[in-house]
Formats: sequence, structure tokens, C-alpha cells
Amino acid sequence: MNAIEIRNLTKTFREKRAVDGLSMTVPQGAIYGFIGENGSGKSTTEKLICGLIQPSGGEIKLFGKDHRDQGVRSQIGVLIEAPGCFPNYTVWNNMKLQAANLGLKHEDEEIRRVLHLVRMDGAASNKFKNCSLGMKQRIGIAFALLGNPALLVLDEPINGLDADGMRIMREILLGLSRRGTTVLISSHILGELEKIATHYGIIRNGKMLREMTAEELNANCPTYVALKTDDMEKAQAILQRAFGRADMDKQTGEIRVYNVYAEDVAKYLFGNFGIAVSEIRTAKISLEEYYINLMQEGRK
Amino acid sequence: MENTKTLQFEKPSFFERLKGMLGVDFYRLFHTPLFYIFIVIAALIPALVSMGAMGEGETAGMFTNAWQIIAADSPLYIVHDMGEYANMNMVFIFGGIMVSIFIGHDYRSGYVKQLFTTHAKKEDYMISKTLVSAFSMVCMCGTYLVGGMIAGAATGLPFTINAGSLLCAIFGKVIMSLGWASLYTFINIIFRRKFGISIALCFVLGTGIPVIGAAALVGNTAALNIFLYGSSVQACLSANFASVIVCLACSLVWAAIYNVLGSVILYHRDVY
Repeated sequence: MNAIEIRNLTKTFREKRAVDGLSMTVPQGAIYGFIGENGSGKSTTEKLICGLIQPSGGEIKLFGKDHRDQGVRSQIGVLIEAPGCFPNYTVWNNMKLQAANLGLKHEDEEIRRVLHLVRMDGAASNKFKNCSLGMKQRIGIAFALLGNPALLVLDEPINGLDADGMRIMREILLGLSRRGTTVLISSHILGELEKIATHYGIIRNGKMLREMTAEELNANCPTYVALKTDDMEKAQAILQRAFGRADMDKQTGEIRVYNVYAEDVAKYLFGNFGIAVSEIRTAKISLEEYYINLMQEGRK
Repeated sequence: MENTKTLQFEKPSFFERLKGMLGVDFYRLFHTPLFYIFIVIAALIPALVSMGAMGEGETAGMFTNAWQIIAADSPLYIVHDMGEYANMNMVFIFGGIMVSIFIGHDYRSGYVKQLFTTHAKKEDYMISKTLVSAFSMVCMCGTYLVGGMIAGAATGLPFTINAGSLLCAIFGKVIMSLGWASLYTFINIIFRRKFGISIALCFVLGTGIPVIGAAALVGNTAALNIFLYGSSVQACLSANFASVIVCLACSLVWAAIYNVLGSVILYHRDVY
């Protein structure tokens, strides 16, 4: 069963179409990285899934049921933008209120569990307004985890987290995924997303540009050899002829040759043409590079 | 995916949902200084009103009986002087301001966003907010009554009254809290984070200006009892059991109307 299934979803704000015929599928148990530029429609889609805003058209199904179904709603944990807390209340009291709204039976136990999970045990007595941005994000995650939901919808949850916070977040999400929780997570920190996501959806102008699994992304992101020589132009032309593709990376000033061994390239250039390689390394196209290339292609 | 959860889609009953939501709203009410400030304000209004009446000038001698601080002598929708206007109905003006700030904070803090992503239904929200707001206004009526009695005693006005009529007047006004609370809740879910507009609108409607204006046009007719202000006014010192029934009917009908309309709006509009 799919945790989220969206078909031809549209959302129009006055004249602006924020989500435009979007379709997406999030399998149960996946960590789905939802990627897109600012204003591409990510947050709007997430708000639509959570029922905070009404769709102008299309269909949203969660676990095979309409997303407005009350039973389904009790299985969703949400962090959209910032957690909705009363600033003058303590973290504990804010969580008590949410636990009451969720109708949880063992409120205190559950609050202690989720605060421990996000390593915020000591912050329970702090007033929410006195918490740092990173603490607020973690409290937001704790809010979303109350009641052990089957689906987590997280909008930019790692914004404002320090390196340790990101590591903790990564561990939490991977742990949840192992226990079968589905996670829909949007983020601009693609390097971090790449470490945890099992599926990806790339959105642009409210439309789904591409959906793929981590394996498919891997296949689309080949390894390459990046090198520098004393005659870059000549070397690029030679490598282009020999290996079919050799790109000049303007940012690093390196030539990139794909799906080859570094040793073979260096030997070929020096042995056949006397071109010495001054620097050489093997790397892999990252999600970030893949995403940027995709966006640039889209603009063209 | 291999590790999928076995899902149980539990649907809590209306009473379970409402219990949770009311618990939250009452907790918030009792933990906001706003509530206590307005309770004190309600107690102070009669003192301020009676002090004005004791002084010299236009307002001097506007009360001849201490209970007139609580309710007018007769159901007069057309107001001739402050004495006919200044009574427990003023609680509903301040109640509107309190409710607007209370509900406005739901939106400003993002609490509604957190709430409406759970199994909470929109009608639960309307009902819970209406009941809590009504409760707060009943409390304000209570402190106004105490303040009014103290003010009446302080001014040395006589307390002679038909006890039955007085009780009917007080009950009538207290019952009207529900109707007023539903109106204010309705206004607030329309304007949401813009609670400055809600405060202004609640204030205008709470003063009864539209009904007073209508009375100036159509005369002092009982037909105006269909409005919240109309019924609040007819709960006066000459009230009887029928007046209480009118208040009850008016309050319940408007509460139902505003709750249904509010729920429809919440269902069809973006919440956050």
C-alpha cells in the first residue's frame, strides 16, 4: 500500500497556480525527499496533504483513504514551517495540549518518550519562547512524533540545526523508517537528504518534474574522474573522442570524464599524447549536482 | 517496503474529541492573564458607571435603584440616557474583545495548524471555542453582578426589587453569553490572524449599535428580540419566565446558526 498517492492535484491562490496537476506516490515505509526551488509548491503540497488548505482539484489518498478521513488523520504527524506552540507556555505544557487534542491515553509517558527521542529531555520546563531555533525544530519533530504516527510530513525540519542536530535528526528518521514509519521530508540541504532518502520527488512550478528511487538516482548519478592537465583544451578534445563525453567544469576548472578509472585516463593521456595530469580524483555526481543540472535543463 | 506498520485507523467519538479540545481550551483560558484581567474589568465597570451617575452633570441621578446597574427597568431598545444603556450588557462588549484576543492567539501561535492536522473536526473547534468563550462571559457576568451590588451599596441606592424579575433578568443575560460567544467565535474564524478587525467588529456588534439604530427606525418593537442585543435588553428588571425562554431560544438558535456557518467556512477555507 502507498502511504501517499496524489493524482492531478491543483491549488490556485487567486490567479497563481501554486500546485499544477501534481501527481506523486510515496510508498509506505519510505523516506521521501521532496525537493524543489523556493516557491515551487513544496510547502503548499504538504499543507494540502495535511488538510490545512483545500485543494482546487485532484485527489489525495493517504493509506488508500481520502486524506480528510478522520481515522487517517490520527496517523499523521506534521511539522510545517515552525511548531505551533504558545510562546509563554513551557515545552511540556505545549506538548500536553497537543497530546490532549490527539486523545492520547498515557500523555506524560508519551511526551517523555518523544522528548527523549529528539534528545530534548532537559528542555521540558523551558518556556517555548526561550528555546533556540534548533531546539524549536527538534521540539517540532517531537510534536510530530506524538502518538507514534505512521506518516510524518516534515517541511524543512533540518533548517537551523547544527551539525550535531542534523546527525540526531538523521538517526531519528532512519530509526523511524526502520520501524515502518513513512516520512515525507522537504529540504534544501540536499547533502543531508541524500544520506537518508529512499525515494525522491523533484517539483518545479507546481509540477512533478521527476520521481525516482535512491537506486534510480544512483544510476543517474555516475562516477567520474576529474582531472587537471597543463593543456586543458587539448586534453578535453582527446578525452571527448576517446570516451564519448568529457565536460569542462567551469567552477573547479577540471575536466570530467564519466564511468572510467582514473588510472586509465592518466595513462591514456600521457602514454599516447604526452599530456601530464597534474591533479586527478574520482568522485560521484551528488544529488545536489543532479538537481541543479535538472533545474538548468528545465530552464532551457 | 519491508518494514511496514500495521495501521489502525481509529476514529474517536465526538465526545472524546470534544473532551480533549475543551480540556485544552479551558486550560488555556485559566492560564492566560487576559481572562483574569477581563474578570476584574467586568467587576470594575459597575463602579465606574455608578461613580459617573453620582457626580454632577448629565449622568447625575441616572440610577434610582441599585439593580438598574445590572439591568434596565423595561425593555427599551431606543436609548435615551446612559442609565438605560449602562448595565450588564456591557459585559458582552468586553467579552467580544477577550474572545477575539483568545482566538486570535490560536492563529498567531500556529496552534490551529497543529490542531487541524490531527483528527479534530472543524465543528468541534467551533463548539469548543463557543463554550469556553461563553463560560468566560458568564464569569464576567458574575463579577459584574458582584461589582454592581458593591457599587449600588456604595452609592446608597435602594435595593428594593421584585426578586423573581431580577433573577429572570440575570438568568436571561447569563444565558445570552452563549449566543454572543458564538457570534464572536464566528467573527474570529473569518478574520483569523487579523484580530484587530475582529476586536473592532465585536465591539461594534457588542454595543448593540445596529439594533439601537434599527429601533430608531422601526420603533421599540419586541421583534428586535430575535437579535442577540434585543434579547439581552429584554432581560430587564420587569422580566418574567417568558423572557428567560426568549433569551434561551434566541441564544441557542444563534449559537446553532453561527456554529454551522463557522464550520462550513472552516471546511471550505484554507485553515492556515
